[in-house]
Order: sequence, then C-alpha cells, then structure tokens
Amino acid sequence: MSEVAIVGVGCVGFKSIMPELSYKELMFEAAVKAYEDAGGINPRKDVDAFVTCAEDYWEGFSIFDEFVPDQLGAVLRHLFTVSGDGLLGLANAYMLIKTGHFDIVVLEAHSKASDILTFYDIVAFAMDPVMVRPLGGNPYYIAGMEMNRYLCETGTTIEQCAQVVVKNKRNALANPYAAYGANITLDQVLWSEPCFYPLKKLEISPLSDGCVVMVLASEKVAKKLTDTPIWVEGVGWATETPNLETRDWGRAVYTELAAEMAYKTAGITCPSREIDFVELSDLFAYKELQHLEALKLCKYGEAGMLLEDGIITKDGDLPVNVSGGCLGMGYALEASGMQRLLEVVLQLRGKAEGRQIPDAEVGLAHTWRGIPTATGAVAILSNIKE
Amino acid sequence: MSLEKITDPRNMKHWLGHMETDYRYTLGIAGERFLNEIKENARIMGSKCKKCGVIYVPPRMYCEECFEKLEEWVDLGINGEVYTYTVAYLDREGKRLAEPVIYALITFGDAFGGLVHKLGEVKPEEVWIGMPVEAVFKPPYERKGSITDIKYFKPIQ
Ligand SMILES: [Zn+2]
Repeated sequence: MSEVAIVGVGCVGFKSIMPELSYKELMFEAAVKAYEDAGGINPRKDVDAFVTCAEDYWEGFSIFDEFVPDQLGAVLRHLFTVSGDGLLGLANAYMLIKTGHFDIVVLEAHSKASDILTFYDIVAFAMDPVMVRPLGGNPYYIAGMEMNRYLCETGTTIEQCAQVVVKNKRNALANPYAAYGANITLDQVLWSEPCFYPLKKLEISPLSDGCVVMVLASEKVAKKLTDTPIWVEGVGWATETPNLETRDWGRAVYTELAAEMAYKTAGITCPSREIDFVELSDLFAYKELQHLEALKLCKYGEAGMLLEDGIITKDGDLPVNVSGGCLGMGYALEASGMQRLLEVVLQLRGKAEGRQIPDAEVGLAHTWRGIPTATGAVAILSNIKE
Repeated sequence: MSLEKITDPRNMKHWLGHMETDYRYTLGIAGERFLNEIKENARIMGSKCKKCGVIYVPPRMYCEECFEKLEEWVDLGINGEVYTYTVAYLDREGKRLAEPVIYALITFGDAFGGLVHKLGEVKPEEVWIGMPVEAVFKPPYERKGSITDIKYFKPIQ
C-alpha cells in the first residue's frame, strides 16, 4: 500500500472576523495557496478527488455540500463533504489514497463563524430535544460541568488551567495565522469574568474565521510535487456517546480511543518518547490538560504538573500548542483540526519561523468537535519515511 | 474588496437569513413511559437490562452494551446526588444573567446515567459534588409530561 503525504498547504486567516470575503472567496484564496504550494498543481485536471468538511448549521445552508465545488476548482469533479472536523476529513482523504485508486486528494475545512448571528442556539440545537433542551440556558454550561468534575477527579487546580491560557496566547504572538495572541498574566485569566463556574471568560476560545486547504498525495506522486513531503503515519477517530447522562465527565474517552487507533496505525508504542510535539484541542483551557492525558502523554491527572514543570512550553521536552491552539488562533468550528494539522506540517517542514521547534520529526495533531459532542480525532505525522 | 478601512462589519454588504426549523420529536416507548411516570406518579424510573443488569436512566428500550431489548422497569425514587455541577452566569445570547442558574448532573445510586437538571433552593457557594438532592415536582395540574415537570432538585435537609 502506498504511503500518504501532505504535499501542499494553504491558509487564509485566522481572524476574529473577515467581513471582506464571502465563504466561497475565503476557500478560493486558501485553495490557490495550497495548489501553488503543492508544486503548482491544476485542480481542474490534476486532482483525483476532493474532500470538504462542513456542518450545515454552521454554514446556514441545508445540504451545504452542494455549495463547495466551484471555489476549489472542483466543478464536475469527484467531491464529497464530511460533516465533521477537518481531521475526520483527513482520515477520509488518507483512506482514498490508501486504496491505490487516488494519487492526489484535496482536503478543505473552513470557518465563517462571524456570519453566525445565533451561535449558542445552534449549539443548543445539538442537545437532546426531550431530556436536555427544555432546560434552556446557554449550552456552554456543559463545559463548566465537565471542568468541575475533571478538577474534582484529578486534583488539577484552577491556576493550572489558567496557566494554559497564558501559555497559548503567548505562543500565538509568534504565529501569523493566530487571531488572539496576547501577553497576559495568570491573574488576568483568574480574574476574568466567571462564565460557567469554574470556567472563566479568558479560558473559552473565542470564534475565528479562516480556511485551510491541503493537498495529499500518494508516495509515487508526492516526491514529484515537493522536496518536503510530510507523511501521514496514522489516523484515528472515535465518538464516545451523545448522551450527557452516561458519558465520562472526567476523562476524554473519545480521545483515548482515537489516539489508540492512530498509535496502532503509526506503530507507536510509547507516545511520550516517540512524539516530539503536540497540537491539540484547547477549546476550553482545561481541555488541553484533559486531552494531553487522554493521548497517553502522561498519566490521568498529571498534565497540570507537566505544565508547571515547563515540559509543555515551547522550549520544553514536549511542546504543546506552539501555534497558540484554539485559545490563540480562535475556535474555527470544523477547521479547528486543520489549524492543528497546519502547524504540525509547518513545524515538520522546518518552516514555522519564529516558533520553530528544533529537530522536530514526529508530531501529533488532535481535535475535538466541541460542545456538546464527545467526538475526537488524532493524526500522527512525520518528516522521515519509515 | 473595500478600499476604506471597515470599522464595523455590519457596514459590509450582506444579506440577512433566518432558518425556520420546527420539529415534532417522537418520545418513543421508553421516553413516553419515563415522562408519563413523572407526570402521573412523580417518580423517576429506569429500565433494566436482564442480561447485564445495568439500569439506564433516562430509560432506553435497548442496552447499548448487550444490544438487548429492555422491558424491566425500576423505580429509582426521587433522591439522587450531584455528580457534577456548574453555575451559569451567561444567558443563551451570552449576556450576563441577573440571577445565575445552577446546572447539575444528578445520579441515582448504581443506575447508569442520571439527569441533567437545575438546582434550586440553594446558593451556588453551598453546592458540592456528592451533595444529596431530591426532585421537586410541579403540582400535578401543571405537569404535562416534560422533563421540566421536575422544577429542580434541592438539597435534602
Ligand atoms: Zn445489557
């Protein structure tokens, strides 16, 4: 079976709002960059299939998949839409190439969150209509409930969670694709408005607009298109349960299962030793710590100490979210996983400029689909072919 | 693209859209019995798997582990405990609430699951994980077979 490589990336954004571009123009601009980056491929004839990622309600369309071909150069070509995060799209693109029938596959995910006027209504509509929705309120209360349980089970402190925000927003200052870089203090986070106890305002990733397009290729074609192919070594995905009542409120089980699958495909047996850096979902600050544990990069309840010991800072042994994460780049809906993936590719290419991690060879990208889901995905990438 | 600096995105050309989506969600066999028991008898019921013994709350008509059909019903009483909770300070639009609302997941003994609901007759700073609580029902004539027939859960004195 052919190996699968990422040979081109294009990104527009991320910004808190991009009112000058329509969602189609946003995708067009990212696609142009990605095709140029992939050795100047022509989407009208070189691409075998296109995978886009979008959820109807985020877009304000019923059956949004009909609205994607033209801006990617995919009119009258082979395209489907995954109603999930970009990393779930990556899994699909990866499988297409693995079949041996596809040599070049384009992957796209975007966010035009600023077009959504009633964001929390959409999130609330994702909850059980009989058992939960009638209670009303802002659906982000689920994050507050989860954080509270997580802190209770692990002994992780509110200071450790707040420190994640300080770290990631500072990291974002060195990332030109990040919307929310800032130099803030621990106290500023701790004293920001209480929103859903124990969750505070600055611990919640604000929404952002942007688009990432990537070009994937089979081993045979990859080397013709680029000198620096980034190999997809493994992918994994999992959903725990949609039921709030029966899910695990301490552990991120969906991430544990997704990681297990990705590690298995990639042949990774000791993640903390074999992985050089991590990009993961920090949609809420505590999620960075909880996900780090679920990825088996430390024991359950130990991520806070890893943070305190400086291990997951940019210069530490296991840098986490050097891009700034969602807290620094903004929550980009289904493009959130693509933000993570983009950073992993740039780092492995050695093109992360002021935030480059020296000698990075294996990186992990992780995503979570946000409230109220228990769905996640993981990808392992490397710049050396086994 | 505009050549002038845009300071208010609402000034960009746009079209406002509104999505009308009304549904009638079928409760199903398990859901109907569960809500009817709350309405008629003010009690919280679970459904039990005869194969693995797990009691589901809210009840379902099948076991997700064994894939068995569930036909045995168990009265769980009205007392439970706070498994986790939060104090919500923001409303649906993200604006500050005049009075914060406490949401909690209430569990019932060994039953698998629980109910997401509100807490009442308690101040936010008095709530703790593990706190015993009891369901407070609306009076019978106000109950209509909804999860909100339970007004809230309150601490057991
Ligand atoms: Zn069973």
